[in-house]
Amino acid sequence: MSLEELFKEIIIEHYQHPKNQGHLEHPDAKSDGSNPLCGDEIAMELIFDGNVVRNVMFTGNGCSISQSAASLITEAIKGKTIEETRTIMNEYKNMLAGKEYNADILGDLEALSDVKRYPARVKCASLSVAVLDQALQQKK
Amino acid sequence: MDIERIRKDFPVLSRMVRDKKLVYLDNAATTQKPSVVIDAVADLYKNYNANVHRGVYLLAEESTQAYEDSREAVRRFINANSTKEIVFTRNATEALNLIAYTWGEANIHAGDEIVVSIMEHHSNYVPWFRLAHRKGAVIKIVPSRMDGELDMDAFKSMLSDKTKLVGIVHMSNVFGTINPVKEITALAHKKGAAVVVDGAQSAPHMKIDVRDIDCDFFAVSGHKMLGPTGIGALYAKESYLESMEPFLSGGEMILKVTLDSVVYNELPWKFEAGTPNYEGAIGLKAAIGYLEKMGMDTIESYERELTAYALEKMKTVPGIFIYGPLRAEKKGGIIAFNIKGVHSHDIGTILDSEGIAIRAGHHCAQPLMIDCGVSAMARASFYFYNTKQEIDSLVAALKKSKEIFGHVA
Repeated sequence: MSLEELFKEIIIEHYQHPKNQGHLEHPDAKSDGSNPLCGDEIAMELIFDGNVVRNVMFTGNGCSISQSAASLITEAIKGKTIEETRTIMNEYKNMLAGKEYNADILGDLEALSDVKRYPARVKCASLSVAVLDQALQQKK
Repeated sequence: MDIERIRKDFPVLSRMVRDKKLVYLDNAATTQKPSVVIDAVADLYKNYNANVHRGVYLLAEESTQAYEDSREAVRRFINANSTKEIVFTRNATEALNLIAYTWGEANIHAGDEIVVSIMEHHSNYVPWFRLAHRKGAVIKIVPSRMDGELDMDAFKSMLSDKTKLVGIVHMSNVFGTINPVKEITALAHKKGAAVVVDGAQSAPHMKIDVRDIDCDFFAVSGHKMLGPTGIGALYAKESYLESMEPFLSGGEMILKVTLDSVVYNELPWKFEAGTPNYEGAIGLKAAIGYLEKMGMDTIESYERELTAYALEKMKTVPGIFIYGPLRAEKKGGIIAFNIKGVHSHDIGTILDSEGIAIRAGHHCAQPLMIDCGVSAMARASFYFYNTKQEIDSLVAALKKSKEIFGHVA
């Protein structure tokens, strides 16, 4: 296992130039979370259009894995239905847990697949989906 | 000092990690153990294990003697007056909590002031924070100066007749700063305040003389000085321990119990309820024996040389920022840093791939992180078994981590 596999160019690109970073006016749902031991922080805000995630933005600070994951996952779910979003999140969790997963559904998020080889870092990659889970529960 | 011979005393140091030689630079978190410590614990279980201070048979006499010999070793190591002043605890944290829940509970009242420094580990802040909340007392925080040393002028200005307790870390687990505890104690005593020194990081690396410092309490951690985990010690002046109520209660800490009366045991056993960690104490005695054989002055001067070398070499890493004093004579072998554009956890993972173990995170000192305007730092911390070659490996890996993340404006 080499470092280049963990710190892929796409991960460093999203870490240094994150997509969907900032705040939304009048979000329909918002949530935040942190990993108390390492200090990674992520907050997410979402706007829905019926059953569709019309917009999503995040703010946060922390390591390259936690911040690139937030950037990549917000890219992946924007414009998707709630059901599609949940499917993406489940496939992503499967990937991090070392289970089988559908790479087509994950797209660029698959760049984080090598994190599973670093048990101490899985929580960095998981923070965004945990925060997203909480936010989605606010959707009636 | 023959480092290669010393390293052979520590079995784990010859381990390979991710196909690389282990470079262990997380000694402020815990130290590795020499064979004499591992063997002392195994010897107890193989040859004379029995609960201490209970049996009348030979094994119990031997285990009790070994346990109490360890107390004498701790007394000698920090130059306390008497073994009555040495209470075994789980760790330095428990020692500090013991003070807060016994002496603190009885002596801190509404409006009293507790003075601690910004450099405190959570273990020497949270117990006082909670005590102050319970009592309506006030906590005052001594800041650090830009050079990473304690702001003694601010400290002096905070002392008043209301000051009842001063809590101070002897060696910061983040900055490595060695605080002038003797001077602090003298100033605090003039105001009639009690002084608690957190010695978790200092006792492993420098000669400690609690009588010279004249502090009222001193907390020691065993596993940070070659000993097993789960054993620490509280030093407290006999007059304090005499006046204090017990902390935990149960077996061992009593002389006589009837259904309507309890007579507490003598010092120090009054503060040691239940079967103690005699395995840990016996390992700690072997650890102290090892340190004394090496000589604390030898250890201190070698580590200072190593720290000076590390500070010089680490400065050459592009984008590095080192926290705390930059002069080795002001600090112990603890160097906290960040590299621009590379988060400390990413540094930790990249170093791990080279077999190098360092700490990344808030180091149980979040107020200090906030004060420095960061949420995390990387930290390399040394012990006498580390070498300059290992520091070269560290510096090379830090440069590599900077390369992986490219040059960020």
